[in-house]
Amino acid sequence: MINKNYLYILFLCIISLVQEFSFSRMTLFNVSADVVTIFLAYIAVTTDQKINISFGFAAGVLGGLLTGNMGLNMLARTVGSFIAGYFQTPKESHATINQKSKRFYAAVIVAGFCTNAILSAGDNPLGFSPAYRIVVFGLLESLFNLIFAFVVNWLFLRQSLAN
Amino acid sequence: MRKFFTLFVEYSTWLLFVLYCSIAFLFIRLQQDDVQHKLHNEGIEFSAAVNQQLMTFNSLFTLKNENERLMRVNTDLLSRVLTLETATVDERSQKKILADTTLNASKFIMARVVDRKFSDRENMLVIDAGWRKGIKKDMTVLVPEGLVGRVTSVSEHYARVMPLIHPDFKVVVAADSCRSMGILSWNGGREFIAQVEHIPISSHIKLNERFVTSDFSTFSIRGIPVGRVVRIKPDNLFYDVDIWLAVDFSTLTRVLVAPLKIEPEKIMIMSDDTVTTNKKSH
Repeated sequence: MINKNYLYILFLCIISLVQEFSFSRMTLFNVSADVVTIFLAYIAVTTDQKINISFGFAAGVLGGLLTGNMGLNMLARTVGSFIAGYFQTPKESHATINQKSKRFYAAVIVAGFCTNAILSAGDNPLGFSPAYRIVVFGLLESLFNLIFAFVVNWLFLRQSLAN
Repeated sequence: MRKFFTLFVEYSTWLLFVLYCSIAFLFIRLQQDDVQHKLHNEGIEFSAAVNQQLMTFNSLFTLKNENERLMRVNTDLLSRVLTLETATVDERSQKKILADTTLNASKFIMARVVDRKFSDRENMLVIDAGWRKGIKKDMTVLVPEGLVGRVTSVSEHYARVMPLIHPDFKVVVAADSCRSMGILSWNGGREFIAQVEHIPISSHIKLNERFVTSDFSTFSIRGIPVGRVVRIKPDNLFYDVDIWLAVDFSTLTRVLVAPLKIEPEKIMIMSDDTVTTNKKSH
């Protein structure tokens, strides 16, 4: 289990760097997909909520170091992870792969929307109204994340979720 | 005691959540603190260094040396044009300003844009010149075409620039011919249109008129082009003017950083009422 967590930490570092240096540049309607949220949603579904919150907090620290907005990133990622934790599938459950996938997608949408809402409330670099930022950008980002989550789940995570 | 520990274990997830959120709020609160500031600068250094490496691949396909030579020529020409234009305006309005703040304009610092973000999360530029090259906070960033923005934070080798197309950016501008002044800001939307407010309805402003930075600005040197008027809408007391910006932010690769405008007396007199009081008492 410890080894698995170390592996997650390594993945989190890599994904944070990928997000900052590549995905954050691929914007559509000023919004980009958030792969860190997808990764945190996966951890939320597969591990305990306490571990998941800690990963969210760590992701916030990394994101803060890379963007310069430490506090807001920490808060947004922690809250996002905490909420995604409610979609956890207990180990002893007999959920099918489809049920687990559905929970994973739901975690991606909810965590993405909450993270975006907090980041939008705290920072407004493009001068849009709060409602527009939270609702439109939040929904758009959730949609992009969901599309990404579909692809990632289909390619890599399905087997892992089944186990 | 046992009950307390049971409760503690039962609600440990919530406690952890509250703890992390408290740390996050603490960081938000201490945003201006030294440690946070250092972390912020280190973040910029790292992020910009990686971006610079990534962008170096692009520069392989461009005529790097030729660009630098042209930029140097542009720097000299721009400083001459700014000085001449300012002198012409002064002569026309028959005002002799002894302490001309644009005299130092020949000492521009050249820099390359190594990172640019325009999204719902970030809106900024990073240039490859930091305090080692003499960059300071609040310096004006420009290109020969016009005003780009102002420096908001500086690390050893890099500086972060708030572009003109940021909702928090404001600068005092003046019309080229009628000298009407207003405050330029960007209210979101299109990247190439900004707004000028507080232009009195009595002023004779025209379409296609050029706007430049004014000497009233606390950070910018005067005479830097900002853009041209594309729409004028009269209100009760003021005009609402739309400006087509002179700078194309999507193609920005190299910029100039103007020396810091140091006017301690002006800042003092604007912020301190005691100056007037003391004079009266004498």
